[in-house]
Amino acid sequence: MPIHERSLIESERVLRKERLVIDGIDVSGDWNLIILPRTVEDYDLDFAKEIMESPDGKTIQQCYQCSYCTASCPVHNYWDDRYNPRHFIYLARLGMVDELQKRVDVMWRCVSCHKCTHRCPKGVLVEDVLKVILRAMYKRGLIGDYPSKKFDQFFTESVLEYGRIEDGELLFGWMEKQGYKIKKDPILRKPIPFFSDIPKWLKDMVSKPIKEGNIGFLMLNAKHMLFHPRTKEWNKFKQVLRKVMEEEGALAKGG
Amino acid sequence: MAKSVLVIGGGPAGLSAARALGKLGVPTVLVEKENKLGGRPVLESYHTLIPRKMTPSQVLGPYIEDVQSNGNVRIMLGTEIEACEGEAGDFKVSLSNGEKLEVSAIVVATGFQHFDSRRKGELGYGIYPDVITNLQLEQMFSKEGRLYRPSNGELPKRVAFVFCVGSRDRQLGVTNVHCCRYGCALSGLQASEIREKYPEVDVFCYYMDVRTYGTWEYPFYWAPQEEYGVRYVRGRIAEITFNPADGRLRVKHEDTIVQRPAEIPMDLVVLVLGMEPSPGTKKVAKILGLKQDPDSRFIVPSDESGSNIRSNKEGIFIAGACKGPIDIESSMAEGEAAAMEVLNFLGAKVTV
Repeated sequence: MPIHERSLIESERVLRKERLVIDGIDVSGDWNLIILPRTVEDYDLDFAKEIMESPDGKTIQQCYQCSYCTASCPVHNYWDDRYNPRHFIYLARLGMVDELQKRVDVMWRCVSCHKCTHRCPKGVLVEDVLKVILRAMYKRGLIGDYPSKKFDQFFTESVLEYGRIEDGELLFGWMEKQGYKIKKDPILRKPIPFFSDIPKWLKDMVSKPIKEGNIGFLMLNAKHMLFHPRTKEWNKFKQVLRKVMEEEGALAKGG
Repeated sequence: MAKSVLVIGGGPAGLSAARALGKLGVPTVLVEKENKLGGRPVLESYHTLIPRKMTPSQVLGPYIEDVQSNGNVRIMLGTEIEACEGEAGDFKVSLSNGEKLEVSAIVVATGFQHFDSRRKGELGYGIYPDVITNLQLEQMFSKEGRLYRPSNGELPKRVAFVFCVGSRDRQLGVTNVHCCRYGCALSGLQASEIREKYPEVDVFCYYMDVRTYGTWEYPFYWAPQEEYGVRYVRGRIAEITFNPADGRLRVKHEDTIVQRPAEIPMDLVVLVLGMEPSPGTKKVAKILGLKQDPDSRFIVPSDESGSNIRSNKEGIFIAGACKGPIDIESSMAEGEAAAMEVLNFLGAKVTV
């Protein structure tokens, strides 16, 4: 028998045994399926209060759930409809933290286009409010760093080392960090895009200058791959920069 | 043709009809069942009236004074009508005190009664002391001036308003399918009053939709949220239970925005009562032969006339909540409109 509204039930709450014997009686069958209750037992009003009382979050109280923001949101419409600012506002205002947590994988995806804020008929500063929600969740360890922050760290490491980035290293290094298998040549350990398991858009991007015979571009890239571009007298500057960053707390000590 | 006019009902509509007629020099008899003028707002000690946030004595006090001091108006308290004969221009009305009146026209302003929430057993009214009606909350404010849980006299940490109790409900039969019209706005006001006086109390309004029409939108829907931090939760409360472990109530509903069942702890639950035609309205409609809505039993205006003040019987005019849920200021305006219709009917020439 199918489960009605299956989309509302997380798989871990569905208990079902292939074969179930109780007191020697075989009770296997569809009816032995158990769905753990998903009743909301309380609101987390401290969480809600934190958002309502913060200076950039207080307009959350103005929302009347018309969904003008969500209907305008490019992330919702063209990327993943689980990203729903209107819904996040509702959940945060009641402190339904477990519901918010179900969406942590999409919650950082705001592209800051400000359509929601500009169009909101109630004057909710939607984008600010969502940032406050994220901050409150981050503070409680309910959501990790946003993905682009990890990229920023990766980028910064490269800049700190050489004063400049090298496109190929940055791009393929990042892809490798994301779990893609990058094939490398055995001697110089440089990436070989065409034998790597990478998305098609990246293969296309790499093959484009070859197809177009853009010799200058290819030569420059080859040079950079062999000799990592480096800012003049970077080593001296690097030491000063690291020291300052460590003192400011922007960099972990010895990092 | 008899000269005087009978006004049945001494509430907002009846008062304003009698006041206007008296001021214009028409001999008027005002018959009121209870022993006090003012209708529900006065009899049941409302605290603050929507939409102008004034007290019943501020709004109705001057009307009562005007009626009482006007020599053209004869007030008969504790009196009901028992029978009516004759036709427009010459009605012969028998009263409960044995007196007989000869009147040319009648204004019916017999009003409404509050829904009896014991009829919704699943909401626990009459079973759990902390489930109260919005009328009781008004009286808590007006008589005792403080908010408390009837079970222990303490300030509740959380208050829930349950909208549409006895309204928009086919389960009660065909009689209560209409909207009460005032509930959303009054709840917004009561919730704001609670938050203003007790900022530490969290207030939740459980709604299906919020009908604060016209200019009521800002003061009774936006302001409660924006200025007072009242939370609106979408879902109709289906059951109220009591948890002895913590001594708190549970409001059982589906949050239809989150699409999850919920049983949220509450300390005080306020049922927002619907409006029904009062027993007086039903009785008077029967005696006078007035057309009623077949379902709700509210009196309906004549089909032939554009005016919604004229009943199906010539010479009988209807005003206020006997025609369906209505707010107090509209009710008073209808009373005055009825007075004008009466004058028009009498063919009176008003000289300035």
